[in-house]
Amino acid sequence: MANPADRPDPDLPTPNLEPGAEEVEELEDINGDGEEEEEYEGEDDDEATAAKPQTREDAATNRIRAESLFRRMGAAPVPVRVHDVIVKGNDKTKDHVIEAEVDVVRQATTLQELLEASKVANFRLQALDIFDSVKITLDPGPPELPGTTNVVIKVVEREKPLTCELGAFTKAETRSSSLEVSAKYKNLFGYGDNWDGSLAYGCDNSAEVGLGMYLPRFRGRPSPFTSRLYLSTQDWLKFSSYKERALGLSLGLLSTEYHDLVYTVAWRNFIDPSRMASRSIRRQLGHSLVSDLKYTFKVDKRNSPLRPTRGYSFISTSQIGGLAPNKATLRFLRQEIDLRYAVPLGFYRAALNFGVSGGIMFPWGSGYKSRASSVPERFFVGGNVSPVCSLGGPSALWGFKTRGLGPNEPRREEEEDQSGDTYERDFVGGDVAVTAFADLSFDFPLRWFRDRGIHGHVFACAGNMAELSENKYRNFSAPKFLETFRSSVGAGIVVPTSLFRMELNYCHILKKQEHDRAKSGFFLTFSTSS
Amino acid sequence: MEGDQETTGFTLVTRKPNFDLPTACPNCLPAYIYLKLAQLPFELAFNSTFPDSDELPYFENGTYVAYNNEDGGVIEKLKKDGIINLDSPLQSLPDYLALKALIVSWLEEALTYELWVGTEGISAPKIYYSDLPWAIGKVLFYKQTYMARNRLGITKENAEQREKQIYKRATEAYEALSSRLGEQKFLFEERPSSLDAFFLSHILFTIQVLPETSVLRCKLMEHSNLVRYAEKLKSEFLEASSSSPSPPLHSFPSSFSRKSSKPKSKPKTEKTEEEKKFKKRARFFLAAQFLAVVIYLSVMGGGSSNELEYEDEDY
Repeated sequence: MANPADRPDPDLPTPNLEPGAEEVEELEDINGDGEEEEEYEGEDDDEATAAKPQTREDAATNRIRAESLFRRMGAAPVPVRVHDVIVKGNDKTKDHVIEAEVDVVRQATTLQELLEASKVANFRLQALDIFDSVKITLDPGPPELPGTTNVVIKVVEREKPLTCELGAFTKAETRSSSLEVSAKYKNLFGYGDNWDGSLAYGCDNSAEVGLGMYLPRFRGRPSPFTSRLYLSTQDWLKFSSYKERALGLSLGLLSTEYHDLVYTVAWRNFIDPSRMASRSIRRQLGHSLVSDLKYTFKVDKRNSPLRPTRGYSFISTSQIGGLAPNKATLRFLRQEIDLRYAVPLGFYRAALNFGVSGGIMFPWGSGYKSRASSVPERFFVGGNVSPVCSLGGPSALWGFKTRGLGPNEPRREEEEDQSGDTYERDFVGGDVAVTAFADLSFDFPLRWFRDRGIHGHVFACAGNMAELSENKYRNFSAPKFLETFRSSVGAGIVVPTSLFRMELNYCHILKKQEHDRAKSGFFLTFSTSS
Repeated sequence: MEGDQETTGFTLVTRKPNFDLPTACPNCLPAYIYLKLAQLPFELAFNSTFPDSDELPYFENGTYVAYNNEDGGVIEKLKKDGIINLDSPLQSLPDYLALKALIVSWLEEALTYELWVGTEGISAPKIYYSDLPWAIGKVLFYKQTYMARNRLGITKENAEQREKQIYKRATEAYEALSSRLGEQKFLFEERPSSLDAFFLSHILFTIQVLPETSVLRCKLMEHSNLVRYAEKLKSEFLEASSSSPSPPLHSFPSSFSRKSSKPKSKPKTEKTEEEKKFKKRARFFLAAQFLAVVIYLSVMGGGSSNELEYEDEDY
């Protein structure tokens, strides 16, 4: 797909404040040739040359004019004013949708600014993902208005608006990777609206069916609007003796490069079909209404989300739940922070990655100190994701299994001998969690590995969690928290694939607490960029 | 979700109180009364967010839990596990089973019908959904009404006939129990039993929760001795201060032996060591196959992703 805005139109007439008759004729001549030139910009050289044969004199004249224009542009800003923006080719898409994305060109006051703005406008239109091609060209303005230009936008709408995709993602909430199949229909009503239906299945026995809608602009706001209706189930029976089902609606109210604001309302249900849950989990079984607002501030200046070797990232997620008059709505405050830094070492593409994550949550409302916090909103650490890739709050530690550390309680007793596969304790999550890691990655000396991105790494990590709600904050102390920190070290091989990053690591557990599900040995992790 | 006081003793988790009853739920009240009749000291905790669960009420002591949907109910499970058994000397009596059938089947059926169908569930919101958001409560109300109709076998065709049958059986049960009880304090001699717990719960619920226009309530009020029986037991066992230390009728062992129960729904089959080993090996084999395919794909097709990374490096 060509991007004509990158190259200036060689036939753009030199703007004169008072063009004379000769100059007008020149402009008309240029206009006549200009149409050919517009086609030329979108096509290969051979096709353009074959389309309209030009005389040698015309070609020489155009070349001279172009060189003159380039010299002027190089010397000083060439003033120009956009007279009109003309949109062509949109049979279904509404004019205002396209004009809203290219409004930036109207602000241009010089030719150089106009070319840059055209590039930005082209990018924005392509980002709508509803066109097969976008072409922006510049035509001279009306002869009676010298120094003006018309911006012509030619779009070709998608011939096949329905697409199917298969992808792998890491969800911050579940701390595990999931495979997603989705069908998307682009531009159903002509507002740049994208509709998608998706089915996702996660490594942690979670499943989700969802229907989403994306609007690039809503009621004139510059930020896109997203909404998603979903039905999800998550099976935590093995780790925490409960299953979670949710029927919800999430609305993306604000989405920019750094800021994200989402409102979610959902009907959530906890059940325990095994009837083995510990006391804390038993107390939380039932239905609840989730109504929360989540704000995320994200800056990711790393050069790669899957193998960062340079840069830093910072994420802060603030969440407030209970935005409904009914006291049965889950009321909580939650804050997560994640900071990463990658330092290149200059040999074998080696880099040192540091990361520290922390989070805290607490109920609010009457009796908040003695009330238990909601289990799904708590922090759980452990899983088969790599801490290097899982951005957003305390997530995983190498060597510790899913929900494998932190506060835990004995399950309901059963007299029969356990088969060994079932756990005797429920991990109930923590109200405060901290994790940190350091990872040194490096290429192998063999070129075969380097060409395929397979590299090695050596790592160390540590983390801990604690409960604060239900008056347990009285038992919390910093020395005790530090004393019970878990830690592990290890080394491994990282194999990047097109879907995910796979690590085969050997982990040695340096310190763990009683009942933690962690052991030294070989582990596989699968991570996608979150 | 409400917490209870920190305790390592006995705890009964029920639905919330209402209508001047310690718990307004007709399934939870019998268990509460049973523990009170046995004068077992226990804490009461509430779950107000799970109206459609048949696990409530449940009784817990440390890691021991007796759910209502196991072994015939909480009361039966407590009897079976040797915690409290008020019926042990009475089970051999000839009319024990007959009275039990009347109370736990005919009267329980009548109560279910009257609550969800007869009175159109007018009392249900206060019992089950007072702490839930309106929309969730409404959906659950329709769900529970539908399930109650299914359980009672009521269809559009047989609704009228079924109603007559239920009321007729309730009337006959009331008459039989009224004549059996007379002016006795309990149904059997002078000792309380689980049948008293069920019957008292039925009477209290019918009188205090169901509206005055309820057909079942009117039929019950015709038997004044039943009403007196309920009032006497309520004032003696339910309204007495919980702090007054009255000597328990039974001793409660701190550690009790009980028959194990199998809470998991799917039956465990005997697994030999060989089968376990075989399954473990099969899992490793599959994982190794998958890993080999992934590595092959990545090695053969991972060049393009590396090019992208190198391009980033150039910038």
